[in-house]
Amino acid sequence: MNEQILTSKEQRRILWRLLAYMGRYKKEAVLAFALLLLATAGELAGPYLVKVFIDDYLMPNHLAPGPVAALAVAYIGVLVGKTIVGYFQLIGFQRLALYIIQALRMDVFSKVHRLGMSYFDRTPGGSIVSRVTNDTEAIKDMFISVLAVFVQNGLFVIGVYIAMFSLNAQLALFCLFIIPAIGLIMKTYRRYSSVFYQQMRERLSELNAKLNESLQGMAIIQAFRQQHRLYQEFAAVNEAHYEAGMKNIRLDGLLLRPALDVVYLLSIMAVLSFFGISALESPVEIGVLYAFVNYLERFFEPVTQMMMRLSLYQQAIVSASRVFALLDHDEEAPFNPEQAPYTIERGEIEFRDVSFSYDGKRDVLKRLSFTIRPGQTVAFVGHTGSGKSSIINLLMRFYEFDRGDILLDGRSIRDYSRAELRRCFGLVLQDPFLFYGTVKENIRMYNEQLSDEEIETAARLVQADAFIQQLPGGYDHLLAERGATLSSGQRQLLSFARTIAAKPKILVLDEATAHIDTETEEAIQTALTQMRKGRTMIAIAHRLSTIQDADQIFVLHRGEIVERGTHQQLLAQKGLYYQMYLLQNGLVDAHA
Amino acid sequence: MSVFRDLFWFFRQEKKAYITGILLLVIVAFLETIPPKVIGILVDHMKNGTMTKEVLIRWMVALAAIAGALYVLRYVWRICIFGSAVKLARQLRNELYAHFTKMAPSFYQRKRIGDLMAHATNDLQAIQQTAGSGILTLVDSLTLGGVVLATMAFSISWKLTLISLLPLPVMAIATSRYGTMLHRRFLTAQEAFSALNDKVQESMSGVRVIKAFGYEEKDVEAFRRQSEDVVAKNIAVAKVDALFDPTIGLLVGLSFFLSVAFGSQMVIAGELTIGELVSFTTYLGLLIWPMLAFGWLFNIVERGRASYDRVRALLAEDDEIKEMPGALAVPPQGSIEYDIRRFVYPGETKPALVDVRFRLERGATLGVVGKTGSGKTTLLRLLLREFDNYDGDIRFDNHDIRHYTLSALRMAIGYVPQDHFLFSASVRDNIAFAKPEANEKEIVKAAKLADIHDDILQFPDGYETVIGERGVSLSGGQKQRLSIARALLMEPELLILDDALSAVDAKTEERILTTLKRERRGKTTIIAAHRLSAVEHADWILVLDGGRVIQAGTHEDLMAEDGWYREMYRRQQLEELME
Repeated sequence: MNEQILTSKEQRRILWRLLAYMGRYKKEAVLAFALLLLATAGELAGPYLVKVFIDDYLMPNHLAPGPVAALAVAYIGVLVGKTIVGYFQLIGFQRLALYIIQALRMDVFSKVHRLGMSYFDRTPGGSIVSRVTNDTEAIKDMFISVLAVFVQNGLFVIGVYIAMFSLNAQLALFCLFIIPAIGLIMKTYRRYSSVFYQQMRERLSELNAKLNESLQGMAIIQAFRQQHRLYQEFAAVNEAHYEAGMKNIRLDGLLLRPALDVVYLLSIMAVLSFFGISALESPVEIGVLYAFVNYLERFFEPVTQMMMRLSLYQQAIVSASRVFALLDHDEEAPFNPEQAPYTIERGEIEFRDVSFSYDGKRDVLKRLSFTIRPGQTVAFVGHTGSGKSSIINLLMRFYEFDRGDILLDGRSIRDYSRAELRRCFGLVLQDPFLFYGTVKENIRMYNEQLSDEEIETAARLVQADAFIQQLPGGYDHLLAERGATLSSGQRQLLSFARTIAAKPKILVLDEATAHIDTETEEAIQTALTQMRKGRTMIAIAHRLSTIQDADQIFVLHRGEIVERGTHQQLLAQKGLYYQMYLLQNGLVDAHA
Repeated sequence: MSVFRDLFWFFRQEKKAYITGILLLVIVAFLETIPPKVIGILVDHMKNGTMTKEVLIRWMVALAAIAGALYVLRYVWRICIFGSAVKLARQLRNELYAHFTKMAPSFYQRKRIGDLMAHATNDLQAIQQTAGSGILTLVDSLTLGGVVLATMAFSISWKLTLISLLPLPVMAIATSRYGTMLHRRFLTAQEAFSALNDKVQESMSGVRVIKAFGYEEKDVEAFRRQSEDVVAKNIAVAKVDALFDPTIGLLVGLSFFLSVAFGSQMVIAGELTIGELVSFTTYLGLLIWPMLAFGWLFNIVERGRASYDRVRALLAEDDEIKEMPGALAVPPQGSIEYDIRRFVYPGETKPALVDVRFRLERGATLGVVGKTGSGKTTLLRLLLREFDNYDGDIRFDNHDIRHYTLSALRMAIGYVPQDHFLFSASVRDNIAFAKPEANEKEIVKAAKLADIHDDILQFPDGYETVIGERGVSLSGGQKQRLSIARALLMEPELLILDDALSAVDAKTEERILTTLKRERRGKTTIIAAHRLSAVEHADWILVLDGGRVIQAGTHEDLMAEDGWYREMYRRQQLEELME
């Protein structure tokens, strides 16, 4: 994503949308702001009390013990109070920021789960993960360190002026020149820094890209003896990065702290001149002068802080724009009603003239029609691209089909509720998905009603019990690294168990036997026979040996069924199936 | 602080900038003590009624001059010190890169690219900070702190200085303690965050299963729990983080209180003027920053130390492939002879090659076939001298390949690797990778030989089309043919194709092989392949299994034998039939 295309209007819209999240936490927000007001008032009261002390007691050389003690107590009291309130105020803002990010994260994550499979097939998983975690984290940094600092410091600046006005309106008016001066510096700084900072980031990502590419292609670079040339290229990018870095240092040097310090000294000069000129005619209140100097001194640090964080703000807005783009994505999963009175009893499946295309141009399924009777086992075979996986994508409602209809027990698949469909279908994928957790948790997944007994029954049925018992801890064995310690066959058995434990009526196997090692092949075969009992089963298979006893085999070619029948019938046809069979069994004709 | 000693070579190299920068910092520290003094003097003039226009103007002019001087000096020292630090990062980064180009494959096997990247970015950043902010903080907190303290103590009152500074050590102790606490909690929060990241990763890779089981809502619930855990741990961080400012505020406030309380008594006792008291409190304000900075300094230096050590360790890695003194610098031309008894990859125990012996005459074509992991690629990598530590020798042009300079040897070899790696640059630059000065004719010729020319003309910008992440994406077959063109442009004495035609269709493969045979007459070619049709016309074919040669001969010889080759060949023919 190009970061420069955000206009300032878009930036503002994004900021407002982010701020709108605060509305969900009104109580917390109000509390944080109220505490902030108190803390700021406390912050400002200190110098004021000292001023009273100087002008009323110290200057006239009249240290009345009572009132002075009261002042001292007040000062200490305000100090301690301000400290406590300040602490809770800071936490309040951080808590608010964290809650907002939590809400945002929940929104994004829930949204992701509502998206259709087509989105996941097109978008790299890593970039979705970044949206949910890293981008929201960048926004969090902004809420905590930018917004909070801006609000706190903005309020402080206002507070300082109120205090100054109440002390001496004329002088305070005089000091107003600071505002446009700082405003001007800030505006100029922002204008250049957004450009320079952007340049620096671009150079940096160029530098990283170059380095990353070189590291990956080092074998090639060395084989073709281009080390020197690539070093020169890298050094050039490095130089450009250095230049960009220097530009930023120069800009910071010209406009950040040194410049603000000049304004500070100018404001001190203004105050001193004001008092100095009035002192030419009449005595002045030294305490007021003290308070002014003191306020001004505290005034500038927050302003510097604010300016230094402008770049963080810029980054957060970019992250937010990506998060919102995902939230606004409209590629939702195919629709099914939340509630529907229909249930699937028998498990009969019919495809009636179903056509489907991923890109809207080329049909991958062409007017496909077939019927699977309840309890039947049916297999689809064919080459990559023949359309067999698409059948499952439609049956599982991962994708919406374009024309024709899919009927379950004689009723359109679109009429059933999502929950009913999920209850009836059990899917086993080519790559068994295991997550960090125990064996038991992996079989149970989110199905909390499942008892340990049911889990073990399922595992026994699919022949997984034997190897699970061998694992240290048995069913409580922790699968680290997504089951990397198990063989691919064992992992597949676990996913069989998970599917069977959910007691589906219709079993769908998507190349579930593709990566099976010889050790588990037998167990898998037995498992499949067990699992089929009393269920409709649809299998997509590469290995024909696993589907030989299917009731019907469909041979797909370019989205159409070109052969259908039982194993024996298809062999007798001596067509595509026959050839595939020969090939896989190494029974090659001598003439070939 | 020892990291400063380790970086001394750099400070010496940039001594002009550092000496100027530090000198200016000291001057700035002195100048900074003047304005509070001026405030005090003017306050006393006001109080005593001795204020005159001349006095006021004189001091205002002085202040303006100081403001101007400070601005310029501050700008200059920043350029000197921060500028040098950026220079250091640039220099180290170049050094690292140069070092990476010398490292042999075994190095890249041991290290993950992500880690190497991290060294070149995060570690260099930490070092840059040490050489920049680290030096600044050290000098600034010492000089500014020292100068201000001295001014307060000697020009105003050492007694009052002592009293008012009482709370400040508490501040230093408290903030450093908070720092440790914060660090611990921060790590916990970091862990929770990365667990959340893993959770999302897991959900994304298991999205099909989650959807198939209809567990979307439950997964969102699980995410909510983990996300709430992140929030809770971050709030724990916030609870410590929020301690800093109020604590500092409290202690600074106490300092002020003490100075005003005791200072006013001294004013009344006549030991102090009221102006001096005002100056004094202003100085106190100047002291806060050096105190805080000192705490920071330890942090910066600690990180810089660790990072610099890592970078140094990386730079100290030895290049394992060494050139012999007086190595032959002339590229070899002639026969190739393998006599390898045994080769084991570093860090492994199972040998990758055992007893591989054969001789390949100049101009002949050798085919190498076998299952995945049988040692085909290993055989080729040894020839490129990616590894030197094998038992036996490989002779090219009658000399052990280890007797050539790396450059001379590689000049003779055009290598097309299995994982066709292309750079994100234009098609032209990719083809001309080994010979950037190649002209249009040469490039087009190589492209035509590799049968990719017509494809290139179809690309949006022809030969100028940028490929890779930032450009058009190519099919596997196109990438392979581009890598072949890249190797052919060198017109190498020896061409190595490591399963380089796997993604092109049989007809294209046939065409390329025929062209190569015609164009490369008299030059040697080695083809490793899965698809046997690629080696069918080779002069000699080796069948590898588990690092050993199990069959060898011409296509006809091997077809006559009942073995892996014949079985595989028939199987592949049938497969082709079915496509």
